[in-house]
Amino acid sequence: MLDQRQKIIGEDTVLFEHIWKTGKGFYITVSILGALVLLGLYAYITQYRTGLGVTGLSRQIFWGVYITNFVFFIGISHAGTFISAVLRILKAEWRRPISRASELTTVFILMFGVGSVLIDLGRPDRMLYAIRYAHFRSPLLWDVCSIATYLTVSSISLYLALIPDIAMLRDLGGKREWFYRILSLGWRNTESQHRRLERAIGFVSVLVIPVMITVHTVVSFVFAMTIQPLWHSAIFGPYFVVGAIFSGVASVIVVMAVLRKAYHLESYIKPIHFNNIGIFLMAMTLLWFYFTFAEYITIVYGNDPVHMAIFWSKISGKFSPLFWLHFTLCFVIPLPILAIKKYRTIRGTVIASISIVLGMWLERFVIIVPTLTRQRMPIQGAYYIPTWVEWSILAGCISLFMLLYTLFTKVFPIVPIWEVREGREKAAATVAARITSYMPETGTDLNLPSPGGRG
Amino acid sequence: MYDKSKIIPALVIFLGLATYPIWHNTVSGKARYVPKPELPTDKAKKECVEPKTFIRVNHKTLLEDWKFSVVRNGIRTYQASNKKAYTISLNRTCMNCHTDKTKFCDQCHTYMGVTNKCWDCHIYPKQLSPGPLAMRGP
Amino acid sequence: MQFDRRGFLKITGLTLLGLSAKPGWEVFSKIDQPEPSPMAESLAKIRWAMAVDLKKCWSAKEGCRDCIDACHRIHNVPNLGTLKEEIKWTWTEPYEKVFPEHELEYSEENHRDKPVLLLCNQCDDPPCVKYCPTRATWRREDGIVMMDFHRCIGCRYCMAGCPYGSRSFNWRDPRPFIKKINPEYPTRTRGVVEKCNFCVERLAQGLIPACVEACKEKALIFGDLKKPDSEVRKALQNRVIYQRHPELGTKPKVYYIL
Repeated sequence: MLDQRQKIIGEDTVLFEHIWKTGKGFYITVSILGALVLLGLYAYITQYRTGLGVTGLSRQIFWGVYITNFVFFIGISHAGTFISAVLRILKAEWRRPISRASELTTVFILMFGVGSVLIDLGRPDRMLYAIRYAHFRSPLLWDVCSIATYLTVSSISLYLALIPDIAMLRDLGGKREWFYRILSLGWRNTESQHRRLERAIGFVSVLVIPVMITVHTVVSFVFAMTIQPLWHSAIFGPYFVVGAIFSGVASVIVVMAVLRKAYHLESYIKPIHFNNIGIFLMAMTLLWFYFTFAEYITIVYGNDPVHMAIFWSKISGKFSPLFWLHFTLCFVIPLPILAIKKYRTIRGTVIASISIVLGMWLERFVIIVPTLTRQRMPIQGAYYIPTWVEWSILAGCISLFMLLYTLFTKVFPIVPIWEVREGREKAAATVAARITSYMPETGTDLNLPSPGGRG
Repeated sequence: MYDKSKIIPALVIFLGLATYPIWHNTVSGKARYVPKPELPTDKAKKECVEPKTFIRVNHKTLLEDWKFSVVRNGIRTYQASNKKAYTISLNRTCMNCHTDKTKFCDQCHTYMGVTNKCWDCHIYPKQLSPGPLAMRGP
Repeated sequence: MQFDRRGFLKITGLTLLGLSAKPGWEVFSKIDQPEPSPMAESLAKIRWAMAVDLKKCWSAKEGCRDCIDACHRIHNVPNLGTLKEEIKWTWTEPYEKVFPEHELEYSEENHRDKPVLLLCNQCDDPPCVKYCPTRATWRREDGIVMMDFHRCIGCRYCMAGCPYGSRSFNWRDPRPFIKKINPEYPTRTRGVVEKCNFCVERLAQGLIPACVEACKEKALIFGDLKKPDSEVRKALQNRVIYQRHPELGTKPKVYYIL
């Protein structure tokens, strides 16, 4: 019995430990997060009972923090898929230890994206009317469809890669064996099961990429389909997708750093991971800047007074502090950190990532709110200061996300053990074979004429 | 069966507690309570838009249909089965006879634990009294 | 023919995909199917419109609010007393804000600050209708853009879609803020959007809109555009007329005569 346990655990004790061992830190984290969730819940109950008047929203600026959260959370959810699916397709071996952490981010944060819209409704009791009386000309319904698809596909993708690990936990026995037995779907670790699983994961990975791009494109369409100044822009689809991957990858770096520290995964999540993702993040920083530049230069050069009014309110008007703060956080701070190799350490990439995550929340805010201050007519009383209710709900959402994440790691391993092992056992040989296949053919049977006849 | 001596008394206690409201109400006589919606006494107001039996079962769908008819189709008269035409209006037709919803609608709704949101927006005539009835519309 | 499970699933999937092609096409093609209504035919013979004669309006004593008060009284529009949660069906804005495209700097008459009455434009191609996820707002065949308070979920996307700012949202329960409730028209609950409805409930009784009736200067002219001899058609004849932002293609049906 002990032998079998030893065989299953092997040299990866650390990866199981966070499920079995519950330290003081866990309880402290859970109680702090739980308290914040309760605060958010209290804020929502207050809003539900008295109406949206408890927020800072007004007749003029009727969308604010909640819609910002919606776009922001859905943006974050893009990285998980991106990192795990794209790297899987590209056969990047270093993705193995981090793929589950990023997929989990996707699945959990996506729920809060959906939740934010529901929180924003004036009559949440009627939310199902959107399905009962669905009007498919409304971009909001496109969102409903694409987000539902995305949530389904990314949950499947997460679950598929979990099955072999669940089976391992089942074989280890213990109190929760019945639970793992149900979820492992009869996984016996046979050759044919492996082949099928690989095929299924490969299929889902390919499927999820177009879905992911659709999701954020459609989220941007909520704004781009209106005729409001600075929303009605053809560039919004790709601009939002780039911003989504940008903020999402940054948040995955933060998640990785936290997991590494909290669960002692130093030998699995290494500086090289931060370095590799950091380089990608730098490319995204530049791409984000390119899109932002393209968006605004078109406005400025066109010089349409309706658009320019909003533009100036961002550049030098009342939204300028927020605009320049978001620009600094998204570009000025992260770019040098990520570009200079000396700074692209774990600490450096984490600092850059936190800056980007904050900056991208502000970016969504700066896209949504200024447009509402003057829709073709300067409006009186267009000011917006979010109230405690909105901040509490934001804090509650983020805390609940972290809480769910923490609880998940109490039940399932956060590093995909079987994938890491597969990498250890087979990857080197596969990669070597792949590299050989790229190389120009050499060998004695190829009688190439030697150059210059010197041989 | 294991632990017979514990399980059976516990089951009896549980059932007793779970059915307590029924016992309590039977003993106190509340179970025999029958809601009594107050009908208008005025002779002219004796006839409803449809027969009593129909209204009793279908008043909910009838009101839903009326709502849909006025708001979405713009049809404001109802051809009743008794060949009469009625103006479709909760306020002006229904509540013209049943002036007080607390004495009519609520009688059964409260008894059955049904809540409806009609009166969040619509106004029944008695609601505005005491005090002068607010301005008469056109 | 023999089916295994995979084959069955494949065929089912393809069938579903095929069946969804037509509804999918209808969604994205431009034809907006009107809601089937038995009244459609008789309503389609009418096109309600309003003209605002600005000169007449400005001849009233300063600060005249007769039309606005009548509208808000009849429709139980609350007065919340703050700009933040303001609800308005009709209101005024200075001329230069309403028509920013008009050159006023060198024009002789100084009507830059004169009030212009604003209300829902009852567009022929209303943007708000497209955005509503539940069809709580839609266009009737006689041109009135309707609002179904029973169905509104309060997402406020119509407000984002309306380029005229004609829509208001109920940030809290409006009832305590209505001075005198008119029992003939419902109030609203918190969390729904509302706007001018061209007094559809009065039109059904053969009356003209409340604001038109209330105007002592006869500056508001209401009628059926499809009738050549209607008052509104006469008022528009041989006059310079403006609409708000006609370049947006919404085809507003509230005209301003100067």
